[in-house]
Amino acid sequence: MPIGIGQYLVVSAILLVVGIFGIFMNRKNVITILMSIELILLSVNLNLVAFSGALHDLTGQVFTMFVLTVAAAEAAIGLAIVVTYFRNRGSIAVEDVNLMKG
Amino acid sequence: MIFAHIFFYVFAIILVASAVMVVTARNPVHSVLFLILCFFNAAGLFLIAGAEFLAFILLIVYVGAVAVLFLFVVMMLDIDFSELRAGVQRYAPIGGVIGAILFLELVLVLGGWKVSPLAAGLRLTPMGYGISNTDAIGRVLYTQYAFLFETASLVLMVAMIGAIVLTHRDRRRSKSQVIAQQNARNPADTLAMIDVAVGAGVKAADIRRPDPALERPGEVVVLPDEETHEPVLVAPEPRSH
Amino acid sequence: MQPLLSQYWPILIFGAIAGGIAVAMMLGALFAARQKPYAEKLSAYECGFEPFDDARRRFDVRFYLVCLLFIIFDLEVAFLFPWAVSLSHIGLFGFFSMLTFLAELTVGYVYAWRRGALDWE
Repeated sequence: MPIGIGQYLVVSAILLVVGIFGIFMNRKNVITILMSIELILLSVNLNLVAFSGALHDLTGQVFTMFVLTVAAAEAAIGLAIVVTYFRNRGSIAVEDVNLMKG
Repeated sequence: MIFAHIFFYVFAIILVASAVMVVTARNPVHSVLFLILCFFNAAGLFLIAGAEFLAFILLIVYVGAVAVLFLFVVMMLDIDFSELRAGVQRYAPIGGVIGAILFLELVLVLGGWKVSPLAAGLRLTPMGYGISNTDAIGRVLYTQYAFLFETASLVLMVAMIGAIVLTHRDRRRSKSQVIAQQNARNPADTLAMIDVAVGAGVKAADIRRPDPALERPGEVVVLPDEETHEPVLVAPEPRSH
Repeated sequence: MQPLLSQYWPILIFGAIAGGIAVAMMLGALFAARQKPYAEKLSAYECGFEPFDDARRRFDVRFYLVCLLFIIFDLEVAFLFPWAVSLSHIGLFGFFSMLTFLAELTVGYVYAWRRGALDWE
C-alpha cells in the first residue's frame, strides 16, 4: 500500500503555515525571513513531488527542478542584498530599510 | 510495506519539528542548522515519493551550498541578534492567528478535494516504466521543457552577475605579481654592459639617474644606489653631440 | 515505487553503521581518553591560532562570493546529470539545448572572470 497523497499534502500544508508564521514572527530579522521563504518553497516542492508521484506525471518533478533553481538564485541575491545593506548601514533590521520611502 | 509508512512519519515529524525550530530558535546559527535538518528530511520524503534524483539534488545543492551560504552570512555579519528579536512576543500572536486561519483554509480545501477521474488523461509527461527516475527526467527536461530550461540558465546568469555587482569590490589591498610581465623581461631589455675607464668614476662614463621622460627600454643599466645600495634602474642619457 | 525504496536498504544500513561508528568514537574518546590539560598544551603552537576559541568569528566578504559562485555552478552540474544519463534518447535538440544552457552560463562566467571575482586579490 503506497503512502497516500493526502498525508503529503498535510505535511506540506503544515510546513507552509510554519514558514508564514516565521515571516510574521521574525519581522525584524531578514536572514530568518529568507529562511522562512526557503521553508515555504520547500513545501511547494513537496507538493509538486507528491502530485508527481501520485499521478505518475513527471512534470511535477521537472518543475521542482526549476523551483529549486529559482530558490537558490533568490537566496543568493537576497543574501547579497543583505550583505551590501549591512556594509552600508551597519544593521539589517527590516524597519530601518526606509531609504526609498518618500 | 509498512516500513515506508514508518519512515514517512519519522521524516515528516522531524521535518515539521525542525521547521518550527528554524523560525523560533534564538540563535540564528541554530536556525541554519535546523534548516539543514529540514532539507535532509525533505529529501527522505522525496525519496519515498519516488523522486530519487530530486532528493539527491536537494542534498547536494541545498545542504551543500545554500545552507552554507546562509551560515556564511550569519557568521559574516556582526549583528546583535537579541536586539532583532525584541518584538517577537508582540508579533507572535498576529503570526499565530494568521497561520491558524491559513491552516484552517488549507484543511477545508484538503477535506473537500479529490483527484478527478480525468486527471490521468491530462498528464503531460507520463512516467515510463523500466527507466530510472534520472533518465525519465532527462528525456523531458531538455526537449519538452527546453524553453523553461533556457530560462533557468538566464535566471542563474542574472543571479551570478547581480551578486557580483552587489558584493564585489575592486579595491586592491595587496600588491600582486604580474606573471606575464615578469616572463616577458629578458637581459637585453634590462642590462647594458659599459666599459668604465679605471679611476674615472661612473659620472665620467655618462651614467646618470634616469630622466623619466627620456627613459627608453633597451638602454637601462642596473647599478647600486649611492645612498641605499639598492639596485636602481639607471638609463644612460642620450648623448648630445 | 516500492521496489525502488527496497533498493535503498544498503544505504540505510550503511548510514546506520556510519552513525554508530561516529557515536562510538565520540563516546570512546569521552570515556577512555586521559585528559590532562596544562597551560603549555592549551596555548597556541608557535604562530598558530588558539586551540580553544569562540568558533563564531567574522568571515571575510570574499568567502561569500566564492560560495555564491559555487551554488551557481553546482546547479549547472545538477542540470548536467540527467542530460548525461538520457543523452542517447533526447537527440540533437536536447544536445544543443544543453549547449545553449552552458553558453549562457559561460557569459556569466566570463563576466565574473573579467571583473576579477575569481581572484583572491
